[in-house]
Amino acid sequence: MIGAELAWQWRRPRTLVTFGALAAFAVALTVSIAATGSSTVERVGDIPLYLVPGRSGLVVPVIALSSTMKFFLPLAVAVFAGECVAGEAAWGSLRYGLARPVSRGRYLATKLAVAALLSLVAVLLVPVASLVVGVLAFGWHPLTALDGGASVTGGAAVFSPVTTVARIGFGTAYVALGMCSIFAFAFFLSTLTSRPFVAVAGGVGLTIVSRVLNADYLPGVAAVNAYMPNNDVDLWMHAFQQPAPTDGMVHFAVLQLVYVVTFVGLAWWWFRRKDVLT
Amino acid sequence: MIRVELVKQLRRPRGWVTLAAMAGVALVVAVVIAVTRPSLPERIGDWGSVVTDSTGFALPLIALNAMLLFLLPLGVAIFAGEPVAAEASWGSMRYLLARPVARWRVLGSKALVAALFSIAAVLVAIAVSGLAGLVAYGWHPLSVVDLQHTTPFHIAAATYSPAAALGRLVETTAIVLCLLASTFAFALFLSTLVSSPFVAVAGAVGFGFVSRALDNIPGLHALGGWLPMTDTGTTLWTGLFDRPTQLAGLGHLLAVQALYTGAFLVAAWLSFTRSDVLD
Repeated sequence: MIGAELAWQWRRPRTLVTFGALAAFAVALTVSIAATGSSTVERVGDIPLYLVPGRSGLVVPVIALSSTMKFFLPLAVAVFAGECVAGEAAWGSLRYGLARPVSRGRYLATKLAVAALLSLVAVLLVPVASLVVGVLAFGWHPLTALDGGASVTGGAAVFSPVTTVARIGFGTAYVALGMCSIFAFAFFLSTLTSRPFVAVAGGVGLTIVSRVLNADYLPGVAAVNAYMPNNDVDLWMHAFQQPAPTDGMVHFAVLQLVYVVTFVGLAWWWFRRKDVLT
Repeated sequence: MIRVELVKQLRRPRGWVTLAAMAGVALVVAVVIAVTRPSLPERIGDWGSVVTDSTGFALPLIALNAMLLFLLPLGVAIFAGEPVAAEASWGSMRYLLARPVARWRVLGSKALVAALFSIAAVLVAIAVSGLAGLVAYGWHPLSVVDLQHTTPFHIAAATYSPAAALGRLVETTAIVLCLLASTFAFALFLSTLVSSPFVAVAGAVGFGFVSRALDNIPGLHALGGWLPMTDTGTTLWTGLFDRPTQLAGLGHLLAVQALYTGAFLVAAWLSFTRSDVLD
């Protein structure tokens, strides 16, 4: 069942276009950096980290991950999660999918597993592709990160290539974790509506609401800030500080779990009772 | 023609709900500040800081700073993205076009009315927060502290008389309206393409967010100046309250906005005058 679903989803243009766009982003980023001066100091993230791409190709995946985690990756994840059930409903093939001698719970679980796998591939694709292209362009060298948030200037940390790759791996895992809430919300919407666009836009909308209800922009909303699903997705960048603070990461993981349980639970509850007309 | 469209849109609750939401958010910001942060400095843009209860003119600046990211573009997207796509989704587009009126005039009157409502949305947000501020904190001179040039030994602040502050607020409104023009034009263009108002509105809001996301990628600096919605462009108006006034990028910003607005308006015109209307 999962195999059939995966084989079918994998061949769809939508999947290939999403993966192609994410890989093309890595290439475009590297080419743009190489063309406009790789020795420029890049200010990355909110800490901020100061990185020089020309000194090490390993800077490129850090930049790529940090610049896709707030919009482009949530968009890709919302496409996979929001389309999976609503897409069937839009084509009118949902009722035939459910006519097979398989329980609705298993049908939904299959959809969930395949959409989750494709989302994970999307998240992995960004750092892996940019790592390969970045190292080809700027070489396999130790990464120097200047900590712009340190009170003393010159707080530079040097990471060996292997350590850097390990920390990028940690960052990728953390970003993948951060996508869980968006995935679950888009998946829930997907079972509600028969228009895929609404489910995808709703998933992206959750990240936008999360960002708008951010203490930096609106005074007085600091109270809800800690419970917004996408605000702390950038904490992995602290792994490139020396020493690396880990405040808030456990809270973020628990928060993601709460969002996932809530919305996947709602999706399951709703889909089992849904009156399927299309 | 324009009057017919205006009366139609004035009768619908949608416009009033959107305008009320703009006023509501501006009021909520004012109340939240009055309750939780009396006499605290609040940051404006990248460098400025105003003390909330020193003058009524501080509130509209804070409200603008907060609403320019999402709510004002959303309001404009609703007004510009909805009218054409809504006719298609109601199935009344073909009857609308059956009148002995050229298609470009139909589109023109819809665009004009949508523009009036969009301007109204921005004005309502600024006026409500301004009035709330004046009622709560009074007609006093406005002091803006320049955080970039302030040291423990020297506070770099610019003070404006109430009349001067009001004048700058009017200029700010003009800049903000220009900044939202590209979103307006894109929403109108999208509205002529699709027959679902939701898609047009969500697409137009997404337009700003894609632009911002591209702007925030380190390594793509070359692109930054040519995007329709950027952090630099959004905070440019704060330069009006700096002393000396810093409006260095204004000409470039207006040119880029004009370019996008013109391109999308022409695209909307081409698509609407040629489209095969089935609804």
